[in-house]
Amino acid sequence: MQSYWFGDVVDGTCHPCGGDAAAIAERVLSLDAGTDPSALPDWQVAVSCGACRDRMDYIRRLRDVCFLLAERTIQEKYSGRDVELLQMTRTLDELDTVINLLTGLAAEWYQTRHPAFSRKFRRIQARTLVRTMSRHSGGALGRVTGDIGRLSETRTALAREVSERADEVMPNCSALVGGLVAARLILHAGGLEPLARLPGSAIQVLGARAALFSHLSARSTPCPKHGIIFQHRRVHNAPLQVRGRVARVLAAKLAIAARLDLYRCAAAPEFIERAQARIDAAGAVP
Amino acid sequence: MIRIDGVLVSRGQGGVYGERMLGDLRVWDPYRSKLAALCYQDTGVELAPGMRVLYLGAAHGTTVSHVADYTDVVYAVEIAPRPMQDLLEVARRRTNIVPIMADAARPEQYARLVEPVDMVYQDVAQPDQVAIALANCIFLKPGGTLILMLKTRSVDTRREPAAVFSDAVARLAAGGGVLVRDSAWLAPYHHDHAAIICTAT
Repeated sequence: MQSYWFGDVVDGTCHPCGGDAAAIAERVLSLDAGTDPSALPDWQVAVSCGACRDRMDYIRRLRDVCFLLAERTIQEKYSGRDVELLQMTRTLDELDTVINLLTGLAAEWYQTRHPAFSRKFRRIQARTLVRTMSRHSGGALGRVTGDIGRLSETRTALAREVSERADEVMPNCSALVGGLVAARLILHAGGLEPLARLPGSAIQVLGARAALFSHLSARSTPCPKHGIIFQHRRVHNAPLQVRGRVARVLAAKLAIAARLDLYRCAAAPEFIERAQARIDAAGAVP
Repeated sequence: MIRIDGVLVSRGQGGVYGERMLGDLRVWDPYRSKLAALCYQDTGVELAPGMRVLYLGAAHGTTVSHVADYTDVVYAVEIAPRPMQDLLEVARRRTNIVPIMADAARPEQYARLVEPVDMVYQDVAQPDQVAIALANCIFLKPGGTLILMLKTRSVDTRREPAAVFSDAVARLAAGGGVLVRDSAWLAPYHHDHAAIICTAT
């Protein structure tokens, strides 16, 4: 017996499965896979048994089924807990870039209006700077600086949401490196499942693409010690001589944490406790 | 295929991706589409009315829409959800596109849906591009054409494109079932991209 999307063929006789597109789609999903080249569907067979009227009708019905299948698969892929987190994190990082760029431009603009103003030797926080500029500028510059201020508020709110969502989606990774860094890790891996499939050594250099490829292609540069995980305080605060080791241990523990997050979907306190102790120990200077 | 003053066009409803129109003909830009770039090379690749095409790596459906303008039916396989949403939108307006959301590396997933075809077009950028192309030859009629768009940089960034290319040709020839008929680099339209054209035996 050969099974096709439109029905079964037994000893040269075709039995159409009937039903509407949704029923046929359901059936297609239940069919077992096959790659026998002699067993591909033939529209003439489908016509001969009344599954469809002619070739046009064959394609039309097949299309209806394929649309349903595709729409269902898209919905499944988008229903993952991490899907929205990826978009949120991407927007957050891009917001940072935009705010920095605009603040720099606005400051230069402001300086042409106020020649006596300089940021040199004055530790002005970017936020304070924007507020000052917006208070003392009118017209378009005033509006631009006002918008930067509002963008910063949006950024703060979004960062909190990302962190909360990361705690919920990946409690173990977030416990080790914090929600924001954990979210950036799955952004670079492309999702929680791809991250959980990565070995620790790959997680360690995730996000250090340029350095890694320059090392791989020419071998003239040293291998990068850390990618995104550098943003975690225990890595960037570690003394230079143990920083690579901290990154390695942290990445190895993150690989386990990601798998716990994917398959257990809950925090594992005893694992986190042991992992934290191990990471702290790696950071101790001998 | 239709050429007007040396410009490749196809006949169909425009506005799929903001393409330029010449009257009611859609300009098929070789800089945007690798298949168009191949048609500008002298390799004798022709899309003819009545052809059935299996298109792997359909992405947003820009090239697919042009192929559909020329042929009887296009089975367009794509795995990523974001491009698939666009592809579905293109397919809604072109009734000879059959959109299939599946992994081109696993043809058994859609073997129950796709009939024997005259052309398999492989544009999936994966390190094992050749294996994907060979696996999908089960859909190819005897004498049908397999076009493999080899993105040498996706196969291996460290090796020379020419080495990756000759390796792929050798593997296709050794794979069985197809004869390598012709090949072409797609410069100046696309860099480090080569097309390998095979005939099914």
